[in-house]
Amino acid sequence: MDRVIGLISANYDTPRLGELTQERTVASLPFGSRYRLIDFPLSNMINSGITTVGIITPYKYRSIIDHLGAGGDWSLDRRSGGLFILPGSIYGIKNAESKFLLRDISQNVIYFNRSPAPYIIITCANTICNVDYADMVESHIASGADITLAYSVATENNQNLTGIKVENGTVKGVTRGVNEGQEAFADTFIISRSLLLKIIEWYKAIDYLDFFEVLEEDFDKMDVRLYKFEGYVRSIATVSEYFRYSMELLNPLNFNELFTMGDLIRTKIQDAPPAKYTASAKVNNALIPAGCVIEGNVQDSILFRGVMVKKGAHIKNSIIMQACVIEEDAVIENAIIDRSNVITAGTVIKGTADSAYVQEKLGS
Amino acid sequence: MLRKKKECIAMLLAGGQGSRLKALTKNVAKPAVSFGGKYRIIDFPLSNCSNSHIDTVGVLTQYKPLILNAYIGTGRAWDLDSSDGGVFILPPYATESGAEWYRGTADAIYQNISFMDMYDSEYVLILSGDQLYRMDYRKMLRNHKEKGAEVSVSVMRVDWEDASRFGIITADGDGRIRKFTEKPKEPDSNLASMGIYIFNKDLLKKALIEDSEDPESEHDFGKNIIPKLLDEGNRLYCYEFSGVWKDIGTIDSYYETDMALLEDEPLFDLYSENFPMMSNSNIHPPQIIGPTGSVERCIVGNGARIFGTAIHSIISVDSYISKGAYVKDSIILPGARILKGARVVRAIIGENAVVTADSEFGCEDPDSEIAVMPGNDNVLVSIVGGGD
Repeated sequence: MDRVIGLISANYDTPRLGELTQERTVASLPFGSRYRLIDFPLSNMINSGITTVGIITPYKYRSIIDHLGAGGDWSLDRRSGGLFILPGSIYGIKNAESKFLLRDISQNVIYFNRSPAPYIIITCANTICNVDYADMVESHIASGADITLAYSVATENNQNLTGIKVENGTVKGVTRGVNEGQEAFADTFIISRSLLLKIIEWYKAIDYLDFFEVLEEDFDKMDVRLYKFEGYVRSIATVSEYFRYSMELLNPLNFNELFTMGDLIRTKIQDAPPAKYTASAKVNNALIPAGCVIEGNVQDSILFRGVMVKKGAHIKNSIIMQACVIEEDAVIENAIIDRSNVITAGTVIKGTADSAYVQEKLGS
Repeated sequence: MLRKKKECIAMLLAGGQGSRLKALTKNVAKPAVSFGGKYRIIDFPLSNCSNSHIDTVGVLTQYKPLILNAYIGTGRAWDLDSSDGGVFILPPYATESGAEWYRGTADAIYQNISFMDMYDSEYVLILSGDQLYRMDYRKMLRNHKEKGAEVSVSVMRVDWEDASRFGIITADGDGRIRKFTEKPKEPDSNLASMGIYIFNKDLLKKALIEDSEDPESEHDFGKNIIPKLLDEGNRLYCYEFSGVWKDIGTIDSYYETDMALLEDEPLFDLYSENFPMMSNSNIHPPQIIGPTGSVERCIVGNGARIFGTAIHSIISVDSYISKGAYVKDSIILPGARILKGARVVRAIIGENAVVTADSEFGCEDPDSEIAVMPGNDNVLVSIVGGGD
């Protein structure tokens, strides 16, 4: 894998994540009890043996830099290669949701020029999966394709995913939205450095467009192939998807596919003490990380680090983010409580199973 | 080598086998024994050093050092990977005149005089790697300087009936040590030595050299160095520590000390943020309490998967309790697996050990001995990958 460098494009937003990304980027959205979304692509890179990774940072980059530091927790604080923080461009309103804005890539062309690696694997920040890219790289090189796109099979009809038009095994274009059972673009592709540099040069004038919009007319002339990601693959675009996919982790099959069967997903090490459950704790079907102290009831829920659940509190089918305190006898159902909230004693917060109530992040 | 002169460096004695911990130290040195769900015992002195801003620590190793060395790594987990200090693993080594094992605590330091010379600090702090406590060594050092001491011994008041189990110090009103008796039959003081010393480096060096030439000596700080320095009329002072201090030397004390963390308000607070206990074992997914799992009065580490019942137990990182399994009053060490229908009561299950399906381990009887299942050899699996 010394012939591949990685690029994670994180300079995009989605208004449909609402308050959840008000003060943080999509890339730094907390997920799965102790991770942030960027941990998944970043860990996949490292676990595949890639040691040079560039991250195109979004405008609101405080939370993401805070999380990444110098990359040490992903073994990226290296002399050769390592983590490269690449400034994202200022995007137009039209393309705020574009995951692979050509301008982001072209503005950082120096990153590609400095490394002798002939291939680049490019991915975005909000695809959740645990895959080894090495096999995809091998398949790309063996096929001699110009570009290889990763896909997974859609588990439902979804307008937020990118579909792929396939003819005779090669890709003829991309579409908005997929139906269940169709190939959904996993927002990950491999391209040779030389071709990428050519594309940047050819389309300088329209670099305010997304990479795949730019290539629309070129699919006929290029050899673009597919590679399938097996196992648990999800892409989060809305609050409802965030809630649903989080809850899916409570199914041990999904949990194991994402966390225990493959390599470890790495994250910023916080070194909290182990979680503590007192005599009054009642916990069933839950993900709980270190640093929590549970005295109350937690069912079908996902907690983050340092959450305190006091005696008599009831949490059901909810996500409670870092450093929240759920005081005595509070009741929380079908809700997402963003970080640092104190839910005072006796408070009742209820969303519905279809539409989770979101309590905004507090201060800090 | 030119280095910035340090005021105080630490030498941490971590070479002991800890034979009284029996099966727990089958594969690992005592300081590397797992504790509190995610820690290893050496985390406590290393965290204390880090929190006390002592950035240079020599770790004297000898007995089964593999896990210990891998665990310490670069010292980064304790913020001890500084450019002009750091953690140094110091095993016995060969010289022109041959090679010898460390013959005692004092000999281990004696053989590393050149390491101390490299940093040429004013003071040397001597620590053991098998105790649970939170201590700001800076306070002890301040006391050392204020008294004009040449040696300071950290002491703690113990119950009179326990005094004959310790090295007992008799001091005058100012704290100057007048007598030091190892395990006295009739103690005249209840100040026990904690085995934590600060020496003026020059005096330490002189004492170690003399001790190495003494054929009668057992080369032990408590038995030889301290009594001899006292006899010679040097200025030895005690520093009285108040707080929790536990020697984790036997299965019983290990079990008791670890289980005490389960109290609602334990004496030793792992959750204190201003003097945090740090560790190098935390790259696991969150713990999952499955639909058939239940947890009560437990401490649970990340990566644990609980599908059975856990009551009043310490469930360490990466361990697994299967559906239908029952764990009570027990310590499940990292990576251990309790299979379907197994019953574990009043037991310690070693690292990566497997309790087979439908088997029973341990005994309800509160007077029975704690059952210990030794760990499996491949303990490394569970600790490698701590970020380095």
